[in-house]
Amino acid sequence: MNFAGFLLTQCLNALSQASILFFIASGLTLIFGIMRIVNFAHGALFMLGAYAGYTAVTVTGSFTLALVFAPLVTGLVGMAFERAFLSRLYVRGDGGAYLMVTFGLAVIMGEAIRLIWGPQPQGVPTPDMLRGVVFLLNQPFPYYRFFLIAIGAAAAIGLWQFLERTRAGLLIRAVSQNAEMVHALGTNVEYVRTGVFGLGCAMAAIGGVLAAPLVTAYLGMGSNVIIDAFVIVIIGGMGSFLGSIIGSLLVAFVQVFGAYYFPNLALAIMYLLMLLILVVRPGGLLGKEE
Amino acid sequence: MRFAYGLAIAVVGACLVPLVSPNYMLTIIIEALIWGIFAMSLDLLVGYTRLYSFGHVAAYGLGAYSSALLLLHFHMPLPFAIILAVVISSLIATPIAWVCTRTHGVSFAMLTLAFAQLGYAMLYRFKEFTGGSNGLAGIPRPAGPFGIELFQHKVGYFYLVVFCLFGSYLLCRSLVNSPFGSVLAGIRENEAKTRALGYNTRAYKRAIVIASYGFGSLAGALYAPFAGFASPELFFWLISGKVLIMVIVGGAGTLIGPIIGGIFFIFLENQLAEITDLWPLIFGSVFIAFVMLAPQGIWGLVTSTLNRRRAPAGAGPDPEDVSGASA
Amino acid sequence: MIKTPKLVLPGMSRRQVLASGAAAAAAMTAPAYVRTASASTPIKIGIPTVITGGYAVLGAQVMRTCKLVKKMRDASGGVIGRPIEFLFKDTQGDPANCVRKSQELVERDDCHLIAGVVVSSEARAIMPQLENWNAFFISHGNGDGRLTADLLVDNFFRANTSAPMGARTLALYLKDAKQNDFYAIGSDYAWGHSSIGAFEEQIKKVGKNFAGKVFAPVGNKDYSTYITKILQSGAQGCYVALQGNEGRAFFSQAQQYKLTDRVQLFTEIVAQANIRALGKDSLGLVGSSRYPFTYDIPENKAFVAAFTKEYPGELPDWTDGEMFQALQVLFTAMEKADSTEAKKLVAAMEGLEVTSVKGAVLMRKCDHQGENPGFVVRVGEDSNYNEPVPEIVKIYPREMVTPDCRSTSYSN
Repeated sequence: MNFAGFLLTQCLNALSQASILFFIASGLTLIFGIMRIVNFAHGALFMLGAYAGYTAVTVTGSFTLALVFAPLVTGLVGMAFERAFLSRLYVRGDGGAYLMVTFGLAVIMGEAIRLIWGPQPQGVPTPDMLRGVVFLLNQPFPYYRFFLIAIGAAAAIGLWQFLERTRAGLLIRAVSQNAEMVHALGTNVEYVRTGVFGLGCAMAAIGGVLAAPLVTAYLGMGSNVIIDAFVIVIIGGMGSFLGSIIGSLLVAFVQVFGAYYFPNLALAIMYLLMLLILVVRPGGLLGKEE
Repeated sequence: MRFAYGLAIAVVGACLVPLVSPNYMLTIIIEALIWGIFAMSLDLLVGYTRLYSFGHVAAYGLGAYSSALLLLHFHMPLPFAIILAVVISSLIATPIAWVCTRTHGVSFAMLTLAFAQLGYAMLYRFKEFTGGSNGLAGIPRPAGPFGIELFQHKVGYFYLVVFCLFGSYLLCRSLVNSPFGSVLAGIRENEAKTRALGYNTRAYKRAIVIASYGFGSLAGALYAPFAGFASPELFFWLISGKVLIMVIVGGAGTLIGPIIGGIFFIFLENQLAEITDLWPLIFGSVFIAFVMLAPQGIWGLVTSTLNRRRAPAGAGPDPEDVSGASA
Repeated sequence: MIKTPKLVLPGMSRRQVLASGAAAAAAMTAPAYVRTASASTPIKIGIPTVITGGYAVLGAQVMRTCKLVKKMRDASGGVIGRPIEFLFKDTQGDPANCVRKSQELVERDDCHLIAGVVVSSEARAIMPQLENWNAFFISHGNGDGRLTADLLVDNFFRANTSAPMGARTLALYLKDAKQNDFYAIGSDYAWGHSSIGAFEEQIKKVGKNFAGKVFAPVGNKDYSTYITKILQSGAQGCYVALQGNEGRAFFSQAQQYKLTDRVQLFTEIVAQANIRALGKDSLGLVGSSRYPFTYDIPENKAFVAAFTKEYPGELPDWTDGEMFQALQVLFTAMEKADSTEAKKLVAAMEGLEVTSVKGAVLMRKCDHQGENPGFVVRVGEDSNYNEPVPEIVKIYPREMVTPDCRSTSYSN
């Protein structure tokens, strides 16, 4: 294959990979930014999204519906959890408490999914409209991955504009910087937190639905995704939305090209990168050191 | 004096355990005690210095693989291998400590995670040395020194672990109650102020990280010869989460609390699985319940119950209280 | 009054000795049709398997086959006149847990028979302990070639097809294939390396070109770059040593890239659970199957009929068939030795030939490996079933497929 075709395909591979990573990582960083919570249950929420998406597709046959249904369900579950448990912990300001509670949630959710859907993996077929490949410089590239790139870009830009331009976005950014002040100005900070937690869960769920045609829905799919999400958020900067975009891109490109040229080091490369960045910029690329 | 009595009772109690428990139970007790040591080592960071580490599994894995390799390649007497493994792990922890303490808070936690993950990846990379995904099997427990064969049997190993547990507890306790420990408390409460008082807080942090990794590696070094094998699961990041939870469930900043937390966690995980297939549901719920209802952890519950019984309200904390710095 | 023999086996209480002695005596004196499985101490078989965790599918399959076997045996008088009892334990796929649970089985439950271990690294962890425990372990699904090579211990037998055997079967088939250059992709751990290593050796032996290999980390989700690598290699065929989650992810994505238009994919494990999940995306896959339920011999037909009756809507996967075979081998050895004691089982099983769901399987004395035939299948549609099924295209006799003694290589 000619080099140009190879390069183009690999770049597109990386972009499509970055898209799913972005959905997961952005959720994690939003939650951290506003609540200083490291959401241990984020992988389980991703998994819930995938399974909910599977059910939606099986029942209605529509992938689009799954993309709406799964984040809705997962977001609601997340918000319910936040109201029931997390919100009571804010007064304590104790990082360890969040860790335990989200860990408990992750364990329970994993088991609940096994009980509801069973231990067998569930397939989500690629939506018919997105089947097939397009040939770029004589190399095949799936339509579905183009779709991933498109929806990822749309979500990234959309969310970015939401945070920058809208009042709700302004509130979210304000609360993540100085919650007391915002509270003093009359806004119900609690609702903002609940909303953002729900949003973060919903993003993870969308990632799950998008990933399902690539990997099928299976038990344990959340647990190794969470470490990838952590790495991205650390690299990009905890709490920085833009950082999660950059982090996703960086990690995806490093993984795609790294695994190609140095497959032995596939695992190590990502962590070396993380280490390097942290040593140079302890808060991550765009993070603020506390 | 209350402390001495409590300690004596604990020691005697521990020595009696093999006499009353069935052999198979001893296996899990030994593992629980090893995790107790591991959790206590993390308490030095989390409870006493408020440095949350997400990569403490590195200490465990380092200790386990070090002792495994030493025993496999050099067949030295078991206690020597363990001591040497701790020394090696502490040496490796030194540059890690150096890098990680350049920052604090969440960044510190993330750096520790990065190192732990790097260690995990290296296990696979240098598979000729570490056995890769297969790990190292058939780790021997050679006799010695002086031909002691005690540790080759489970009961003997139990006493070895108990000795290490009490020994490291006493060492840690004297460490945190010493002037060094006071500086740590200062760093925990307000690092800027402590630095303003003239202390080189970075050096203190470095030291406690190394100490924490050292004791953590003791746990790992005890585990590998006991299980007879060391595999990459011992470096898996989920363990860092588990041990952190053990510290919090037990009661951070008390040393005893995390030991109890570790033992509690292991027993819960193991015994629940016997009772029901739905054990993860109960397991997860227990932790949520702890956070919501007993935030001071198990040891905090114990001491507050004891204090309430002994002294009327307003009498203040008992100066001999074993829990030390804070609940 | 029947005189009971004063046998005192290790670990048995006096009551148990008397009870089993009485039962043995009764069994020997009573006519055959009266020998029910009710009045004797059950034979305990420990199953430390994956109930929760990443490989829960395989553990669930192990358990359902065990339950089916128990039902069948209870109805026909048990084994050596005793009912069987399975003790299921959850190891979550972690070797340390597996050792712990197995130890509990031996020491607390007085259970010295172990089966149903899912992950090869778990098997490796418990094998060195078998002697101490005086326990017997039969593998139904551990593929790592070295278990019957340099890692072999006395009390271990492998009834199933190993990874090298699967690779060998495929290589033999590919000797006449139209593809000439083969690339390989595998999971970066013991089984993956074992499988590809064997394939590489074998494919060269049959005169084909081995174009290269790549290992993806365990748990890898995105195979885009690896698919690109396969396309780059220019090979016409690709050997895939990926199973479970990784396998499904790879095949789904390969279909999306229409990789199969350019490269024929061959795999070492064909799992019905994956075929079902992949649906149409699995059609056309050619692989070596450790146990294809479509195998048309009476023994297998009976098993499949019983299975589908007990579990409507389900089809036996490779784990189900291999587990059934392993238990059958175990029980045959028990009947031959008239004992459940580890060392006696070892003696009875060496050289034992059993007609099982895969035909005649011989448990070799020299390395305790079961000589299994090799099946090459192609996933296709069958009107009798709602999902694609593995159609057998070729069967190789066991002598050609099983490696040299205590080795993972083949000299012929």
